Amino acid sequence: MECWNIGTKFTQYFSDPLFHHSNCKGNELGSNTVGKQPDHIIHFENVSFAYPGDKVLFRKLSLGITPGTFYHVKGPSGSGKSTLLRLIIRLEEPTQGRILFNGAPLADTYPPHLRRAILYLPQTPVAIDGSVREYLLLPFTFKANQDLQKPDDSQLMERLKAFLLNDIHLNDHAQTLSVGQLQRLCFIRGMLLSPAVLLLDEPTSSLDKQSAAIVIDHIEKLCKTSSLAILMVSHEEVLPGSLKFRSLMVADSKVSEIFGIQEIT
Amino acid sequence: MTPQVIYISNWQLAFGLLFILAAGIMSMLHSLRLERDLFIGTIRTFVQLFALGYLLNIIFALDRVWWVLVLFLCMIFFAAWTIRGRVKEKQIAFFFPIFVSMLLSYFLVSYLVTAVLVGAKPWWQPQYFIPLSGMVIGNSMNAIAVSLERLMGELKKQRHEIEMMLCLGADYREASHHMVQSAVRAGMIPSINSMMAVGLVFIPGMMTGQILAGADPLLAIRYQIVVMVMMVGSTAIGSFMVVYLVRKRCFGPAYQLLLRPKNKRYASS
Repeated sequence: MECWNIGTKFTQYFSDPLFHHSNCKGNELGSNTVGKQPDHIIHFENVSFAYPGDKVLFRKLSLGITPGTFYHVKGPSGSGKSTLLRLIIRLEEPTQGRILFNGAPLADTYPPHLRRAILYLPQTPVAIDGSVREYLLLPFTFKANQDLQKPDDSQLMERLKAFLLNDIHLNDHAQTLSVGQLQRLCFIRGMLLSPAVLLLDEPTSSLDKQSAAIVIDHIEKLCKTSSLAILMVSHEEVLPGSLKFRSLMVADSKVSEIFGIQEIT
Repeated sequence: MTPQVIYISNWQLAFGLLFILAAGIMSMLHSLRLERDLFIGTIRTFVQLFALGYLLNIIFALDRVWWVLVLFLCMIFFAAWTIRGRVKEKQIAFFFPIFVSMLLSYFLVSYLVTAVLVGAKPWWQPQYFIPLSGMVIGNSMNAIAVSLERLMGELKKQRHEIEMMLCLGADYREASHHMVQSAVRAGMIPSINSMMAVGLVFIPGMMTGQILAGADPLLAIRYQIVVMVMMVGSTAIGSFMVVYLVRKRCFGPAYQLLLRPKNKRYASS
């Protein structure tokens, strides 16, 4: 019996006592899970997707994502790994089927609020014309985030330190930073929004070994101490060492768990 | 307009064709392959302008507000159609928003100019309303095309930045704020620049026409000033409206960007 890292905070999302039980069963990923699954923070129901005028990327995909779990998403180039993540935050919309977040269709949540609860970190970090402080506080300038508490400088410094970015000052210009530094800043900035799900698209692709290790370490810590569900797309085998994780294989219009028993068609 | 203008006879017009002939010979000698376009262009110039001349004569004679407005509507329609052809991005249907915003903004500007600034009575007096509104449409048509082209280009080019903002909780307005600014600026700069250069670098066409028609140059410049401010006003209002309406169509209900890069697929993985 496998038991994934169950966070301590997940009860704020799920008060269903069954959750503990079913979460520890392991491979509940599959067509036998059609219908609302209270233990799935994200649930794909027969989702099909194709880019306009292109081949079908997903066909009748059903998939459940459990809180407190780390998923490693892999698959050949062009198989739709990024698209899988983009569907969850509605940067793409399914051509058929639906996706549930906390048991309710994605469309029920105001898109800016959905995207701060399900944080997507794209492959390439974008620099903005402004200071590191402005870069980190960018989300707090948006109308939809006015209800959030803005962190002060000392909190920001603390976070920078945790990612070994001590040599960066909040007044530095964001465009002078390296891609690796920016990528870590993006990570820090995203976590300021306290998301429930983290979608990482090759977060270590532009990092050197040392920085990659820091990021992976941090993800590992997060996964152990919170109820975060993490989906990470990556080619290389940069994976948490001391963490049990599940692997999702994206290929041939379907997503299957690699050592899973059921395969989704 | 005034009797002292010298008439140009058909023979004299035909003589003008010698210039075209000269251009054609140049094109042939240097194999520029412009002969066909020159030929079609010449025919179109003659046909379109003669048609316009007769049409204006009829409308001036009818002297009815409805006919003036119908002509105004036709001009806007053709302007919107021309823009539709000029902007290469075809993923978003933008003809209707262009048409509506041109109609509203140009009518407002043309009305204010003829009724208030010039003080024509009635405001739709064809002799004033048609040439003035025609100039508004012709000039800000370019501004709108430039704004649109810039908007679509920027939205596509800055896709990563837009999606980064969206992913941090921005709505589509916040995420595309910079692109809107840049698009409206691009549309307005030429008309502002021409305010700088007017009278120094060029004598505007309308003023030339009035002077040729025997008007006092001091009166002609007054009209030209009216035209210049009218141009700035109409490009500003027109570009703003078009950019706002079209931007809305570039985003879906989840505020996702609908404009896709050329290869259709977003990412390689």
